[in-house]
Amino acid sequence: MVKTTVVGSYPRTGDAFEEQALRRGIARLDRGEITEAELRTVERDTVKAVLKEQNEVGIDLVTDGQISWYDSQSHIAGKLASIEINGLVRYFDTNTYYRQPVVRGAVSRNGPLLVDEWKFAQGSSKAPVKAVLTGPVTLASLSLDKHYGNKKALAGAFASAIGEEVGALVKAGASQIQIDEPILTQHPEDLSLVSEGLDRIRGHKAKATLTLFTFFGDVAGIYKDLQEVPAEILGLDLVQGAATWPVLAKHGSSKPLVLGVIDARNTKEEDPAAVAKKVSQLNSAVDLKASYLSPSNGLEFLPRERARRKLRILHDAARGLGVAG
Amino acid sequence: MTALLTTSVGSLPKPEYLTRARTKAAKGELPSDALQDLEQKATREWIRFQEEIGIDILVDGEQYRGDMATYFAENLEGTEISGLVRSYGNRYYKKPIVVGELKRRGPISVDWFSFAQSQTDRPVKGMITGPYTMMDWSFDEYYGSRTEACLAFAKLLHEEAVALEAAGAKYVQVDEPALSTRFDELPLLVKAVGIVTKGLRARTVLHTCYGNYNEIFDYFNKLPVDQLDLEMSNSGLDLLERFKREPLKKEIAFGVVDVHSHVIEPEALIRERIEKALTIFRPDQLFIDPDCGLKTRSVDEARDKLRNMVAATRAVRQVHGLT
Repeated sequence: MVKTTVVGSYPRTGDAFEEQALRRGIARLDRGEITEAELRTVERDTVKAVLKEQNEVGIDLVTDGQISWYDSQSHIAGKLASIEINGLVRYFDTNTYYRQPVVRGAVSRNGPLLVDEWKFAQGSSKAPVKAVLTGPVTLASLSLDKHYGNKKALAGAFASAIGEEVGALVKAGASQIQIDEPILTQHPEDLSLVSEGLDRIRGHKAKATLTLFTFFGDVAGIYKDLQEVPAEILGLDLVQGAATWPVLAKHGSSKPLVLGVIDARNTKEEDPAAVAKKVSQLNSAVDLKASYLSPSNGLEFLPRERARRKLRILHDAARGLGVAG
Repeated sequence: MTALLTTSVGSLPKPEYLTRARTKAAKGELPSDALQDLEQKATREWIRFQEEIGIDILVDGEQYRGDMATYFAENLEGTEISGLVRSYGNRYYKKPIVVGELKRRGPISVDWFSFAQSQTDRPVKGMITGPYTMMDWSFDEYYGSRTEACLAFAKLLHEEAVALEAAGAKYVQVDEPALSTRFDELPLLVKAVGIVTKGLRARTVLHTCYGNYNEIFDYFNKLPVDQLDLEMSNSGLDLLERFKREPLKKEIAFGVVDVHSHVIEPEALIRERIEKALTIFRPDQLFIDPDCGLKTRSVDEARDKLRNMVAATRAVRQVHGLT
């Protein structure tokens, strides 16, 4: 069967009491009842639980659910030099918010960003754990730039820092690296910047596999050029970005894909057989054996119990596809 | 001439006794009528406070609501409520799930409006969570189209608006915090709000907040309401320049205190903000209020912010000889 993966985030809190440990922990830290170190333990227990949920369903390539991330921007940018973290800004068209990075000077990497988190997750998972990083162009677009004065320069600086981190992740044992550039679905004209960023990052990845993922919309208008970016695998949101589908079906793909076919922003449950049937139409256009099925974006926009059901649907759809033995 | 009327956006903080009671009620340890007694008590207290400090157009304070979308959805046919979803940081909320055809079973907010209005001779605003926000903040397992779901909400919210008016509401406010989520859907929002406000004699208000106003500016005059209620102090004072060039043809409720800050803006600062607004808007066109609902502040912070807001407005009225 075709392989399965997730995109990144996973609900960190559920409706059962035992699934709310992290929420309670953060509240207790705020009240001064526990220490930072104690909260880290709660966080790591939550990561283990999230990995277990993915492992039990049989997801082939998992993530740590980005459990310790406040959001996709400040968790990465906030650890780099010359960046302050500001107030809340709406994250694309979601009803969630990120704390905006403010760039005050030359951006550089002073130390590891995700290496420890990745190591812990891989040590707690049967399946390989993908290291997921927010891409340099998305970081540059969503930050407030008070230093560089142009997006190209800022994105370049972010790309260098992220490249160094990718090097450290690979050294620590990561074999799968994913760079998220959701900005491409809103600003397709940024494709050349994204390519330049990946070029810088690629120099650090050694033998690891590099995936570029775009979500929150389609990339139909830039699909052909997207095929040329310096990454081995392309991840596509085919739900909110359903407009990409006909272009994909027509032109196929020279690269393996991550097909984001399960709606990660709506609770409505897909019929796995119908998903499998639809994906099988790509059989001659895409190397499905080397590709993955996935949710359309991170699963954190769903309640935990629905996210679990979506993982199950994902797994069943892949099994129904029966591409590989 | 009535000038610089003061009002609030909608929510006010819940007193501690009510927060505790809601937690108990959620666990099944407090009967719903006992909770309602406390919600009424808190509503009475807020009405009295608004009267005492001299606010002109009152709100019921939404003491009976958890989340603004969920509260409306709970009172409709065709909906369920989801499990917890994270908004940001350690904040979670439950979202409506549309599982069938949306219908209004009966009054949603009318009884609370009537209760609040019965406590005062001053006008109390009727408050509706807008159709676009209801759609955008809900999961949809039934319509399969954002447009259809939004228009279905609009139709039933129109019934609610008519019922509020029939119950005596002189002002009906439609809350659309999701307004700036997708710019390409602004025509849909205009259409949906138009359905809600169609034929109302009550003065209609649209409240929104925390958006990129520059992107939506061209729509301000197209919104089918009499008054816009905008967050101005947190990020929007820059917007004044644009209003100078392209005048607003509606009334404006102008947010003068930041609801996300613990800092109590001094009267002088608020006066300055009102004076700035007066360089662009006519006094009879200009209403004064906080940026947004005050529910995330403590009771004391909210009271202090409102007190300073009213005092500053009085001072400005006096300077300009307005009554």
